[in-house]
Amino acid sequence: MQFKKHILDNGLAVIGEVNKFAKSAAVGFFVRTGSRDETMQVSGVSHFLEHMLFKGTDQLGPLEVNEAFDRLGAQFNAFTSEENTVYYAAVLPDYLGEVAKLWTHLMRPALRNEDFNMEKNVIKEEIAMYEDTPSFDVIDKGRSLHFDSHPCGNSVLGTRESIDALTSKQMREYFTSRYSPNNITVALAGNFDWDKMAELIAERCGIWQRQSVTRQTPDYQGSLKSERLKKKNLNREHICLISPAVSMQDERRFAASVLGTIVGDSVGSRYFWALVDKALAETATMQCESMDGTGAFYSYIRCSSENLQKVFDTVKAIFDDLNTNSVNGTELTAARNKILSALVLKNEIPMGRLVSLGFNWVYLNEYRSTRQDIADINAVSVDDINSLIGYFKPGRFTKFTLGPGNATPNQP
Amino acid sequence: MASKLDKHILKNGMVILGQPMETVQSVAFGFMLPAGASRLPQGCCGAANIIEDWIFRGAGDMDSRTLNDALDSLGLNRSSSVGSTYLSIGAALEAENLAAALELYAKTITQPRLDDEQFELAKQLALDHLAGLDDDPRHKVMLKLKEQFYPQPLGRSAAGDADQLKALTAEKTGQLVKQYFNLSQTIFAVAGKYDFNAVCKQMESLFDTGPQEALNLIELLDRGRKYTHVHNDGAQVHIGLMTATVKPDDEQYYNARIAVSVLSGGMSARLFTEVREKRGLCYTIGANYHGLKEAAGILCYAGTVPQTAQQTLDCIIEQFDKLKDGISDEEIARAKVGLESALIMSSESSASRAAHIASDYYVLGRVRSLDEIKEKIEQTGTDSVTQFLKNNPFENYTVVTIGPEKVTLK
Repeated sequence: MQFKKHILDNGLAVIGEVNKFAKSAAVGFFVRTGSRDETMQVSGVSHFLEHMLFKGTDQLGPLEVNEAFDRLGAQFNAFTSEENTVYYAAVLPDYLGEVAKLWTHLMRPALRNEDFNMEKNVIKEEIAMYEDTPSFDVIDKGRSLHFDSHPCGNSVLGTRESIDALTSKQMREYFTSRYSPNNITVALAGNFDWDKMAELIAERCGIWQRQSVTRQTPDYQGSLKSERLKKKNLNREHICLISPAVSMQDERRFAASVLGTIVGDSVGSRYFWALVDKALAETATMQCESMDGTGAFYSYIRCSSENLQKVFDTVKAIFDDLNTNSVNGTELTAARNKILSALVLKNEIPMGRLVSLGFNWVYLNEYRSTRQDIADINAVSVDDINSLIGYFKPGRFTKFTLGPGNATPNQP
Repeated sequence: MASKLDKHILKNGMVILGQPMETVQSVAFGFMLPAGASRLPQGCCGAANIIEDWIFRGAGDMDSRTLNDALDSLGLNRSSSVGSTYLSIGAALEAENLAAALELYAKTITQPRLDDEQFELAKQLALDHLAGLDDDPRHKVMLKLKEQFYPQPLGRSAAGDADQLKALTAEKTGQLVKQYFNLSQTIFAVAGKYDFNAVCKQMESLFDTGPQEALNLIELLDRGRKYTHVHNDGAQVHIGLMTATVKPDDEQYYNARIAVSVLSGGMSARLFTEVREKRGLCYTIGANYHGLKEAAGILCYAGTVPQTAQQTLDCIIEQFDKLKDGISDEEIARAKVGLESALIMSSESSASRAAHIASDYYVLGRVRSLDEIKEKIEQTGTDSVTQFLKNNPFENYTVVTIGPEKVTLK
């Protein structure tokens, strides 16, 4: 594996990891913008803008864009989170230049009114779809409750009302202020010719005008509030628990990821043995999500209404035990091994590697090889985990429950 | 794109397949056990779901905790699923742990403890998962659709039936494990970094039994209703639609795959263009080929708010109907390059390679090489796909909706 980088004069970072043995290649445009960078007046604009990039440029209409991607056999898409909007495509090596060129066109979109108005319907359908996906909905509502007035609590999708009220002028202003070259990283992974690709990106993106781009990144320990929402069409209890964790810039993020696996991996974890194995809950998972300047542990648990109180009592007992007795060496080894094999599997595929490569640059401004990640996970010790538990107290959390009943159980 | 295939048959008849991948450090393996949802007897709908959980609750000299801790210590990325014909269990892992993992899986398959107390927990979880489907209408609509579309029992829901699940006992379910974990009809596949001789030698010793009598063939019964609606006061109407097409072993199979790609292979395909891009009716819309050994269909999903549910269904059916009236060369070219790229890219993953060779072997009785598939895709063209659709038009739709309002199937 060879790492390459080239920073253009306008601030655009182009980075690549070449693997001549790969059968495919992937390219991603990582724009450092998301719902946390929005004001309430434009709630949902980052995600809406992501849709609008596929609508083309002054030279390319929406149908032509889709045809162009499909002609290259590209597996392509985009996603928007609280703090990133990422556009990507994986293709056979011969097509990488063409697909990258297409993305460079799309990064300067036309944002036509007629497309904007039609796409509002699609966005509102997406909002409706997630309303019918309570496992998603509960995390979204839990996140807003936990982050409260902190910008990371902003909704990625926005609401029907905010989407209806949004104007294309507001979107254009947001685009100009956020899609500045110094706020974008172009990452390449897999089998490709670095010199050729770096030249192509520089030639096409070097003319983009740099803007001043800022983001506030205060840490936040969470509201620790508790809320419950009743929905008449639900059958199960959907529980979201959120407690503070490390940021992407914090070296303890590897330990936090191991702690997440120890407590909440889908099999073999503390949650699994206490909740799922005992059939108190059908699903119980926890993971660490590190973000820019802050972070959180997210748990998702699904159970029957009858078991709700028992589940809360059990969760309390799990965290009390972690506080008192710490983790043991056996569970640490198992968690490390599970994370390592998942890492190896993901990084064997250029598209998987692209995501790690891009985010390491976006958050840390550094290249990290798979080998470095493996070493850092292997170095996590029982003491590291115990000190994290002592510091972050994951048993103190914000709690959101979405369920069919009226019951309001006691706080765990 | 040459792909080597390793094959060996154990003394007991179990088929061992392997596909080496030079550039990876991982390995993936899977056992396909003939205990899928449609294979099990009437009245046991959902039993495979219990079995999938129950067998991992202790095996041989290891209780549930010891067995699972041992599996976890190897860092396995475990997977298991219940299909129409097979119950599949397997894992992806770092290559050096393969032998230890196989030993634990063999123990789970040949010596599951099947304790009564553990049965009740596994059964409760199966019931909970079934109840949880009510909160996942997108998933539920597809299960209901296959149930109605395929001749019974092929489409039998892997999630099960609440009454039948409740009636199952440890004794009855234990008998099913004994009867349907038939090693002579089991397919084992491995892909990635492995030593095939070592794997075969170990498998011979781990599964050192004689051949077993073949299981009875299933008898195919009637199909379900043309239209089924399940009421749910959610935000969307979830629409599932299915129509029959040729099976995977049919010589027209690749023409069928290209036809589906023209409908829904990429964002420029007809369904996405007409339903989402031009009319803004949906966020999610897509169709794909779904093939079993005995029957196959094109399966389509769309989710939309109640006000536009009828328009969405009508628009989807119009696109299915219109396909036989003509397809452009450009559409065919995009469909072909899309299928070929997806094929090569999925071959980079050891887990998807292992799944591919096992399912090919079951459905076709042999494993297709990547070159063969590529060549067959290349051989299709506008004329062959159009002719295929004239002879095998998409028609007679089976539709299931879940949501606040019904639609009319015209």
